[in-house]
Amino acid sequence: MTLLTALAILIIAAAAFLLGRAKASALAGDNYAQLHSRPNYHGLYSLMWVLIAGLGALIVVSGLAGAVIDSTMTSRASALTGEALSQIQLDLMLNDARAIATGGIPSSVDPAREALAEYYTAAGFWRGVAVLIAGVGAALAALLRTRSQISMEWRARNRSERVIRAVLAVSATIAILTTVGIVLSLIGETLIFFNRIDWRLFDYFFGTTWSPLAGVFEGKLDPEKVGAIPLFAGTAMITVIAMLVAVPIGLMAAIYLSDFASPKVRAWTKPLLEVLAGIPTVVYGFFAAITVAPFIRDNGGVIVPILGLLAAVIVGFLALLLLERARPGFRQSLTRQAGGYGLVAYFAVFALGGLAVIWSANPGFTFDVASESALAAGVVMGIMIIPFISSLSDDVINAVPQSLRDGSYGLGATKAETIRQVILPAALPGIVSAVLLGVSRAVGETMIVVMAAGQGANLTWNPMETVTTVTVQIVALITGDTEADTAAAPAFALGFTLFFITLALNIYALRIVRKYRELYD
Amino acid sequence: MTVAEDLGGDAPAETGAVARIPSASARTAPELKMTARSCDVFYGDNHAIKNVDVDILDNTVTAFIGPSGCGKSTFLRCLNRMNDTIDICRVTGELTLDGEDIYDAKVDPVQLRARVGMVFQKPNPFPKSIYDNVAYGPRIHGLVRNKADLDDVVEQSLRRASLWGEVSDRLDQPGTGLSGGQQQRLCIARAIATAPEVLLMDEPCSALDPIATARVEELIHELRENYSIVIVTHSMQQAARVSQKTAFFHLGHLVEYDDTTKIFTNPHDKRTQDYITGRIG
Ligand SMILES: Nc1ncnc2c1ncn2[C@@H]1O[C@H](COP(=O)(O)OP(=O)(O)OP(=O)(O)O)[C@@H](O)[C@H]1O
Ligand SMILES: [Mg+2]
Repeated sequence: MTLLTALAILIIAAAAFLLGRAKASALAGDNYAQLHSRPNYHGLYSLMWVLIAGLGALIVVSGLAGAVIDSTMTSRASALTGEALSQIQLDLMLNDARAIATGGIPSSVDPAREALAEYYTAAGFWRGVAVLIAGVGAALAALLRTRSQISMEWRARNRSERVIRAVLAVSATIAILTTVGIVLSLIGETLIFFNRIDWRLFDYFFGTTWSPLAGVFEGKLDPEKVGAIPLFAGTAMITVIAMLVAVPIGLMAAIYLSDFASPKVRAWTKPLLEVLAGIPTVVYGFFAAITVAPFIRDNGGVIVPILGLLAAVIVGFLALLLLERARPGFRQSLTRQAGGYGLVAYFAVFALGGLAVIWSANPGFTFDVASESALAAGVVMGIMIIPFISSLSDDVINAVPQSLRDGSYGLGATKAETIRQVILPAALPGIVSAVLLGVSRAVGETMIVVMAAGQGANLTWNPMETVTTVTVQIVALITGDTEADTAAAPAFALGFTLFFITLALNIYALRIVRKYRELYD
Repeated sequence: MTVAEDLGGDAPAETGAVARIPSASARTAPELKMTARSCDVFYGDNHAIKNVDVDILDNTVTAFIGPSGCGKSTFLRCLNRMNDTIDICRVTGELTLDGEDIYDAKVDPVQLRARVGMVFQKPNPFPKSIYDNVAYGPRIHGLVRNKADLDDVVEQSLRRASLWGEVSDRLDQPGTGLSGGQQQRLCIARAIATAPEVLLMDEPCSALDPIATARVEELIHELRENYSIVIVTHSMQQAARVSQKTAFFHLGHLVEYDDTTKIFTNPHDKRTQDYITGRIG
């Protein structure tokens, strides 16, 4: 019945459009240009009001009737059984009555339920009639009213614009209110959680043991084991590894695609790269768990020294940057040392140092690598994020005007110089937002971590060990077999903290981008 | 002239500097700097330049004039191989700089562009500070040894582009924040900071007010002492004021190429006559 009403309203709306348009055309006759609004606008205005009035009436009447039916059924149910029912019993009874009325499967059948079902059927019919009358009536009224308003001077164009604006504003409000609602409920649940752990905020933010459900047999949380640090450390480590993989590869791919690849190669490569973005993360997850993690476990003896070497060289590079900043010209003087090989020697020292540290800790170079590791999850997650970064950065780099490239080439710069010194700086704000998007993907990613990094809340610096992340723990809490009421509280707290941290990160990065933009726009 | 003198020695691009003739004698007998012989340019199927022969003399300002779309910019871009960056563009014929074929496989277009600088029709400052914009060329070509020299080059270039007075106190501000005319002068400063031997200017004054235009014309006059300059312009007066040689293009053809005074007083071709008197254009 409701569906029928909605259909009728749509038909009336279409009629309103045609009628309004026809009337306006007829009115104008030969003086077409004298008509304030084009006939289509008259039709549109009429149509919009018919829809608003008709569907509005439908929703309101249907909702009111539903409420009336529910309350009548509740009171009848109590009257029929002659005893005070608990909420659950009542709900069950009403559901059974509805099931009987609609041909579903009730849990039990008795005269009281059948009586209720009979009422429900009858009331349902009258409700449909009421909805039909109200909806169609309102739609027709709107049609007649807007049609009578049509005249040469009637500003249907401006008025329909206003209606559209109102509709848009309502949509925006709904979106904002939903967000606000979600945040508020997060805050509320988080406060409940803190209340349950006796406001041990310090333990939550700085504690290192996470096992909040340890005391669940006494029906409450274990306030001693609510330290969220291992989770956030795990999230941070996996995110960093993922970004170390995704940012360089993604950015270089973007540069290749935008400035080096021929149009033909580009036409092939870009869609291929974007296919990567379409692979569901579950697939990446088991790829990580089945292929990458065992590979890392079996080749620990090679991978660990290589990682140590890389880490040492990165440390050396950072140190060089700091030294250069403290004493400008340091790098140049270093380059001139050792017969021009000063810089090579500098990094060799760091690399050997890194190896030495590993060797001193483990002279045999035999490593006990867990079969689930942060490294496996991070690397696979990085591969997953590559297309986001490369595709977005490619767009941004392409948007840098050709005239800037020409200016640089015209001064005798090479392609690489142009890219490094002109194009990348010009595209930096966009690249930063691409990277940020990648970071939020990494932080929010769950599947890959569940499968490849494990679930144990383990606080460690070693990427070869198993770690867990905030999102994984939320999943574990919600899908675990602990009663939802107890398990949800820590999950909400984690969710809110994660939300807050990503928000802060985003705001901070946007600030940097804006500063940079002000400087260069 | 400090820029050219300071930098002349250590820039690999400056090999031509040795051959330069002092300006006094240059007036009497300018040398051939660049030549084009039966040059054709195609954009895909569009035949944009048709069989053009031109000699660009050293220490001379050569003006390219002609109606819009006749191929002035296209031909200008052949002279420093900027057309290489356009995929569909194909250049044939022989173009030389100091007698060497610039489209030869041995020639590195990047080195060539350091010797043949360019100022574009639309100002295109980099999104960097004013200082970094001007320092861009000297830095990538290693024209200076230290910061003091670089400061000097930047100041001299900005002075010669008559922009120094307006920006000397805000060299660290972005170049994109300048007005259109200031941006164009910044681009001129950027081009001369690289100390090219030939300077190609594509309508450098189209965004400038009369005062700045006069300054740029003065600059062109001054640069002529050391450089060879090619300027595209839509202003007959400007061509008459600044140039010694004028080339008139029409529909991809080089219709007439002669002394500027000859072109503007006694043109050989009917089409040139019509153009400079405003009948076609
Ligand atoms: N990048 C390009 N791709 C394809 N065709 C081009 C390109 N640039 C120029 N052309 C074509 O080459 C011809 C000459 O253009 P060019 O820009 O050299 O004219 P112009 O004389 O500089 O004109 P104006 O005075 O308006 O700047 C035109 O027909 C133009 O359509
Ligand atoms: Mg042009």
